[in-house]
Amino acid sequence: MRGLLQRFGTVLAAAVLIAVFAATAPNFAATANLIAILKQASHLAILAIGFTLALVAGELDLSVGQVATLASVVCAALVFAGQPWPVAALAGMAAALACGLANGLCVTRFRIPSLIATLAVGAIATGIAFLVTGGVAYVGRFPPGFVALGRGVVLGVPVLLLWLALLVAAAAFLLKRTRTGAALLAAGEAPEAARLAGIDVPATKLLGLLLASACAGLCGLSLTAALASSSPTIANELLMRTIAAVLLGMTTIEPGRPNLAGTLVGVLVIASLANGLTLLGFPYYLQDIALGLIMLASVGLSASVLKEAAFGGAR
Amino acid sequence: MRTLLALAAVTSLLLVAGRPAFAVKLGIVAFQMSAETHARTANAAKAAAEDKGWEVTLLNSAGSVPDHAAQIENLVQKGVDAILLAMGKPLQAEAQLEAAKAKKIPVVTVMSGTSPHTLFDVTVNEFEVGAKIGVYLLGLLNYQGNILMSRYEGHGGTKIRGRVMDIVLEENTGVKVLGSHSMARTQSWREDVKAGMEALILRHAGQFQAIWASFDGQAFVIDDILQAQGYKKGQVFLTGVDGGQEAFRRIRDPNSLFTATVAIPFELMGEAAVDALDDILAGTPKSDITPGPYLFMDAVLVDANNVPAEGEWPW
Repeated sequence: MRGLLQRFGTVLAAAVLIAVFAATAPNFAATANLIAILKQASHLAILAIGFTLALVAGELDLSVGQVATLASVVCAALVFAGQPWPVAALAGMAAALACGLANGLCVTRFRIPSLIATLAVGAIATGIAFLVTGGVAYVGRFPPGFVALGRGVVLGVPVLLLWLALLVAAAAFLLKRTRTGAALLAAGEAPEAARLAGIDVPATKLLGLLLASACAGLCGLSLTAALASSSPTIANELLMRTIAAVLLGMTTIEPGRPNLAGTLVGVLVIASLANGLTLLGFPYYLQDIALGLIMLASVGLSASVLKEAAFGGAR
Repeated sequence: MRTLLALAAVTSLLLVAGRPAFAVKLGIVAFQMSAETHARTANAAKAAAEDKGWEVTLLNSAGSVPDHAAQIENLVQKGVDAILLAMGKPLQAEAQLEAAKAKKIPVVTVMSGTSPHTLFDVTVNEFEVGAKIGVYLLGLLNYQGNILMSRYEGHGGTKIRGRVMDIVLEENTGVKVLGSHSMARTQSWREDVKAGMEALILRHAGQFQAIWASFDGQAFVIDDILQAQGYKKGQVFLTGVDGGQEAFRRIRDPNSLFTATVAIPFELMGEAAVDALDDILAGTPKSDITPGPYLFMDAVLVDANNVPAEGEWPW
């Protein structure tokens, strides 16, 4: 029982929360609403998957929100300059990967802690985003083909969810079925042992940060397509919720470790909360308080079982 | 387990307690409640709706476009009877507003611009506002002298005020613009204005007689800079736009250089939007309320001659 609670306490809390919403919030359990929750969660999930991959490799990437924004504005600027949208989207991804490379090189070559390196690269990304936009949003004028990437529906399933499913499958395959995934885990959990086992730890950590930026790029593009707009702060606000989702995820499935399934549970909790509390008519300030309380309760629950907080808190 | 059950019980009680049942369900989404004007509009609309006995869900997008779109979508899923956007982003939330229209949920906006999926925007005529303050400021200078400008091109209203000021200056060549700072950031805008205007004020010290700011918040930052540098009331004229108790306090304050503002009736606009929705829900055709996409309200120029007493309003 204790072992089950250790592993699935947060999942159980999420299930209870969703059950309470389903019983009390009008339309919460309606198919259209559940799809709306998943669609809203998809951008955060894409970003959080990237954050998780970097954390698996033992690095904290605080630039993901700003990198997503940069990818979005680069893509939008090129679309508005008359470039074909596939070219613009590739340029957005290239900008994101350049940030990932910068993060990785700062951490592995120059030995700057990732906390500081990614903050700095994030600041540079924000500066470039403002340079590109002049502070003004790009709105409308996106080609239908591009907008369909965020708003389209295939066989009744929103395209956003298909992208997310593909990304989840690819990330899960990488982590669980490949040597690279095992190397990421080893580099994150026991870098010295990984080095002795012949793993190129710096290259592996760089890969983790590149993957985080790649996911950030995808998030930026998915946001741009879904909203048919871009602005120099479009994804910045997602960072705190990304951290919250990953932190929540570290309390479950593989407690104490960043893990993909846990991150997805964390994302689902956050998205369900925003939706459910709105359906119940809760004002915005109570929603913020509820989110904070539920995060504390979830982490506290797991910590009480683990005797250790998820991010290495007091024993 | 006991913690989990206690959490579930508390959550359930909270959720059930938060479910009042009223006739009309109104969803209000303010784009940035930390901005005084957004909060004034949204809070006045909420109070007006509650006076009518409506159930109000007040949401804050906290300046995040993705959250803004998600909140509108959640309100549509909730099945509200009407939606009011305060300083919203209807173009960025096009898909969500289209869904609202498809469900026959009327959407009225306040100072948000227009959309094919909303009924109309309650606003002031920004061309008139820009002309009022521009001509007033030149009058203070007797149409001779030098000024500095603090602009913001990222918002429709402030952009128009700036363009109108340009025209006023083109027609009155006795007044020259020595320097102009265009605010780029929205989330750290105070720092942006402080850095830009402080540099201009130092560079042109003793050469300018007035400063034009595109909105009061900018003017307050500039006022603080001027006071810190030892400028006295009357030495430099400083104007803004928006109005509000802080603006009126500074106009009354013998130490402040803030001279005049055009007071926009945000509270009245919020109330007018609720009244309009009440009429729409009662079956009044939109064209009977306003023929076009805007419902204009009057803004009042406030200076030392007509500044209201503390807690009072000029309308």
